[in-house]
Amino acid sequence: MKRRDFLLGALAAPAVAMVGGGFATSRWDRAAYRKRSESRVVVSRVDSYESPLVERIVEGVKLCGLSVTGRSVLLKPNLVEFDPQGVINTNPAVVAAAIEAFRRLDAREITVAEGPGHRRDNEYLLRASGLQSVLEQHRTRYVDLNSDDVSPLSLPSRFTRFGRLYFPQTVLKADLVVSMPKLKTHHWAGVTLSMKNMFGVIPGSIYGWPKNVLHWEGIDESIVDINSALSMPRFAIVDGIVGMEGNGPIQGTSKRAGVLIFGEDPVAVDATAARLMRIDPAKVKHLRAAGEFLGNIEREKIVQVGEPIEALAKDFQVISPFQHLKGTG
Amino acid sequence: MMLPAALQFLQKTQNADGGWGAAPSRQSNTEATALALLALTSWSEASAARIERGLQWLIELQNSDGSWPIHRGLTHGSWATAIATLALAGFDDHRAGAVKGARWLLRHRGRTLGWLASLAYRLIPEKMAVQLDPDLRAWSWTPDGFSWVEPTAYALVALKRLNADVGGSAGQHIREAERLLYDRMCSGGGWNHGNSNAYGVGIPPYPETTALALIALQDREAEPANRVSLQRLVTMLAEIESGLSLSWAVVCLSVRGQDVAYLQRRLVRLYARSGFLEETRVVALALLALSEQASPFRLVAS
Repeated sequence: MKRRDFLLGALAAPAVAMVGGGFATSRWDRAAYRKRSESRVVVSRVDSYESPLVERIVEGVKLCGLSVTGRSVLLKPNLVEFDPQGVINTNPAVVAAAIEAFRRLDAREITVAEGPGHRRDNEYLLRASGLQSVLEQHRTRYVDLNSDDVSPLSLPSRFTRFGRLYFPQTVLKADLVVSMPKLKTHHWAGVTLSMKNMFGVIPGSIYGWPKNVLHWEGIDESIVDINSALSMPRFAIVDGIVGMEGNGPIQGTSKRAGVLIFGEDPVAVDATAARLMRIDPAKVKHLRAAGEFLGNIEREKIVQVGEPIEALAKDFQVISPFQHLKGTG
Repeated sequence: MMLPAALQFLQKTQNADGGWGAAPSRQSNTEATALALLALTSWSEASAARIERGLQWLIELQNSDGSWPIHRGLTHGSWATAIATLALAGFDDHRAGAVKGARWLLRHRGRTLGWLASLAYRLIPEKMAVQLDPDLRAWSWTPDGFSWVEPTAYALVALKRLNADVGGSAGQHIREAERLLYDRMCSGGGWNHGNSNAYGVGIPPYPETTALALIALQDREAEPANRVSLQRLVTMLAEIESGLSLSWAVVCLSVRGQDVAYLQRRLVRLYARSGFLEETRVVALALLALSEQASPFRLVAS
């Protein structure tokens, strides 16, 4: 499929919003600027979900220099949909390990929260995905962000025309929000990682299932605006033990990458994750835009700890409209 | 078949303002309150005082244009208008408010994909990533949004219930929305949120949206698409392990006069296992699914 086909065929205008290329500059307030002089990202080789995940996550958090003592931590996995044959969601073993890891690190409170993008049947999704048994086993609270109480936030960037969006209070009240995406390619945005995963905090009760209003405003644009609005301390743990390539985020095929990626700068984490998929982050529209003011995508500004990218990088297939993203960046 | 614990839960979790939240201690919202009212009015054991307070919450929240926001603090009309309209339609004294809600629905349908997409679909349909009719309009989750299965199903039920009172363009819009549902049907029958395919690959249906669409299309039983989708739902039923999907399936089959006693027993067992995660709308739907009274979702005489 050629890029033109994609543009014409895209349901809902994400594609229309992308026609014409890059973002204009100065679309963010000075207060939204969060780039640091450098960002630390930890790449950890993890061969399987049977590996000692708790220890690896504790190690990853510590290597990032993050302190969680006494903080309320919100874990936001990717649970958009369930397919028994697929690898759509963050593996529940990783969520379970993160709960345990943050407990060991003396978090005051841990909540798992998600606003699934397609289905409203939470009981089904939680049980079928295996997350319910994790929640029960670890006695951890789950919040459906689609129906949580909400508060409006003015957006400090203006890539979309929203101006403001409603966010779940559970997210806004957390001391630390941990985005836990699956390492996946995406048929509208190129990749879906810790920044795109935050689509799940947008409440469906207001914006629908799917959260199509974000697509109309442009997926890349929405990703940037949502992430610029979430100014609380953030952390990311990317489940790349088994990822997804091709027609993601739902219908792609599994791809073993054997990696967990950690970091406090979601932009730097996603840039590193993209490189691990042999995708050039500077060619991913939302990463390029976020790299201007929300975080670092340049290699020289990312202090990488752990395994070198070259040792673990895998060639993730992308659908033809995104072939131009391929590269080492 | 009664589920006393569910009835007790629903009554106990009514907020002080008279409405219900999505879960206990959450802010009252229109969907949960409307479904709770539909559920409580289907059981004679329910407290009349609680029903009255819930009704007052719903009446007070209705906008002057006939719509309902999803909750207090928001003002714009929402997709939940259809469910609130349906709930209000059950009270003879408040039918005028329901008709007002129905008329708002007729004025606020979803958007098309626009002329450019429409042209592209006509000229090069094989190159479109998602196969659908871009010109059909029904109902959306958001004002001026694209049309999706669930809000369309709710609006269809409400409008079909009130069609005689609403008049005007109701019939025409109902027919178009029905066409949209059939257009969005998954290959082999059934519905998901509203995308039956992407990049040439079929996307499977969900039981809850399949049941909902079939409820909205129950007066179109001659359509082969209904038969194949009903069969798909029955197939999916074997795997359903959740209160929401099973409740909608029971309502879907019971409005068609089918024996659902075994499914109702399963629903009771499921409630004992999970309490339906204390989600108000699911508990309310289960109570509706268990009631012997005529369902508010029944559109044709049995």
